[in-house]
Amino acid sequence: MSVIDRGRDLSLEDVAVWELGKRFGFYGSVLAIVLASMFPVLWILVSSLKPPAELFVFPQEYLPYTVTFDGGFRIVQQYPLTLENYARALGQRPVGQYILNSVIVASGTAIIDVILGAMAGYALSRLRFDYKLPVLLIVLFSALLPFISRLIPLYKLAISFQGTPAGALFGLNQYLGLILPYAAFQMPFAVWIFQAYFKQLPDSLEEAGLMDGLSRVGVLFRIILPVSMPAMATTAIIVFIYAWNEFLFALTFMTQDSKRTITVGIALFGGQFNSPWGIISAAVFMSLIPLLLFMFVFQKKIVEGLTAGVGKA
Amino acid sequence: MADSTAQIGETSRFGEESLQGRLRRYRELRLTEEELAVALLTPVVTFLLAVSFYPILDTVWASFHTGYVIQLPGQPQEFVWLENYAKLFSTGSFWNALFVSLFYTFVSVPIELVFGLALALLLQRDFKWKYFAQAAILFPWALPTVINAKIWAWMLDPNYGVISDLLVRVGILSQPFAFLSNPDIALYTMTFITIWKTTSFMTLIMLAGLSNIPEHLYESARMDGASKWRRFRDITLPLLKPTILVALIFRTLPAFQAFGLPFGLTGGGPGEATTTLVLYAQQAAYNNPGPTNGGFALGSAAATVITLLALVIALIYVGTLYEPEVR
Repeated sequence: MSVIDRGRDLSLEDVAVWELGKRFGFYGSVLAIVLASMFPVLWILVSSLKPPAELFVFPQEYLPYTVTFDGGFRIVQQYPLTLENYARALGQRPVGQYILNSVIVASGTAIIDVILGAMAGYALSRLRFDYKLPVLLIVLFSALLPFISRLIPLYKLAISFQGTPAGALFGLNQYLGLILPYAAFQMPFAVWIFQAYFKQLPDSLEEAGLMDGLSRVGVLFRIILPVSMPAMATTAIIVFIYAWNEFLFALTFMTQDSKRTITVGIALFGGQFNSPWGIISAAVFMSLIPLLLFMFVFQKKIVEGLTAGVGKA
Repeated sequence: MADSTAQIGETSRFGEESLQGRLRRYRELRLTEEELAVALLTPVVTFLLAVSFYPILDTVWASFHTGYVIQLPGQPQEFVWLENYAKLFSTGSFWNALFVSLFYTFVSVPIELVFGLALALLLQRDFKWKYFAQAAILFPWALPTVINAKIWAWMLDPNYGVISDLLVRVGILSQPFAFLSNPDIALYTMTFITIWKTTSFMTLIMLAGLSNIPEHLYESARMDGASKWRRFRDITLPLLKPTILVALIFRTLPAFQAFGLPFGLTGGGPGEATTTLVLYAQQAAYNNPGPTNGGFALGSAAATVITLLALVIALIYVGTLYEPEVR
């Protein structure tokens, strides 16, 4: 994978002061960038563990303990750590419910996009048929349409469905009311990832399947889908993160507190008088735990899955 | 079984298949290439037409009519020609929002592109803890925009913000600074925050693009004695062009539609200093229950203008950067 091969294997003649300095510079800059990237999250963690009195001070304390030297080393406590903010966040607002709502909406969106995206991606990349160009144009064009210009009509539609049987399917405060728009918005992306991935597969896969007496549907389900796990994983993860993060529609469509997603829940957390930053920090950190797990577990898969799609614009 | 599979293509193309035979074939899920394509694409196309294209057309329609936040059934919507647009273009708020969005987009995206490419080149090397570093560097991309806005609102708090604290410690500031309530600075601050966050997205796309460049090109260039800079300029950059196009389109259009960041960070303030186009349109639509031209009519006109601008931006990019399959 590595193309520029600095500092990969250290041979004897490399061990010079210059090389050491370079390596030091390299690791130093990586560390600095990592810190700059993670600092806001770390600061939220620190803030969420501080008692309220320690939060609103200037200058701020960073670490709960420091080591001082006065003849001997001593560990000095700067502020006590507390979980009070977490208890209060959970007590004041249904943070658990928000997170559950987000999980439902994001998973539903990811499932729809993986299924429909794989279907369309397969047809567009590996089947011969008329009207391929118009279909491609519909998919591409819908990727360019701004979300705001789809918001008002869908909102009007949801309002007019209220109270009718259709309202249970697509209405305000319905999970599907978010899942369907999200799935449509990310569909071009899903189709793009799948068609790029399928294009890379050798033609012999289908030929072998047809020779063995499988139908075309059989080829798709028995041969193509089982080898397309990387594309499915990439699509699912990225669509999940998109749906987890979306705000404009979530704000508009979920008017009941118990149906709000975590982004809206936190955005509307501000108190009547001033913002309770300790409690907000606790809620924010809880909302980030799934994303932190996702990124640290799956990021290699995300990059690999995108690789097929990006090369061929 | 096997022989019928081979014949399917022929029979259906010439329409000689009996209806019953065709139904039986469908029941057994033995489809021709074309039938399978139709079966696979119909749900997606229907879905996109219903949830993406119908709303756009409805927005355009609504922008030429009177409209209310809550349209009562039977309440007439009158055709008003360009009245909504006239109202939109006569408000200073719209032009301000247009400026904010254009500044925010076209300052942040190029900087993100350069930073993202630099970080991707850095991460492309193999080193200890590489994947840990990569996950950490890509994390801001996964951070929800509006939650990111809240985090930065706290870090930039005018009295207790940690950014002020850091800058005081290094000696750049002598006392806490109100980055977000100063009307001259707020837009720069917001642009900085988006650069911080979305550089990670650029890095992600660039990493994927870089790993598509075959290594043997670099090796032969090295053997020819090409310098590092030459290798970057003559191999990496040209081969990365399609990736850069994808990254620019994927980044410019969302930046142009920024909503969550100003909503969570400043609410568009102070005054309207950070009110982006989409925030303006959303506020026009939902906080503006005026009798005729208010509410959804004005919001729809604004949304239509945003759509047109987004399409123009996309066309310009594709027109200048797209090269049909050079390789």
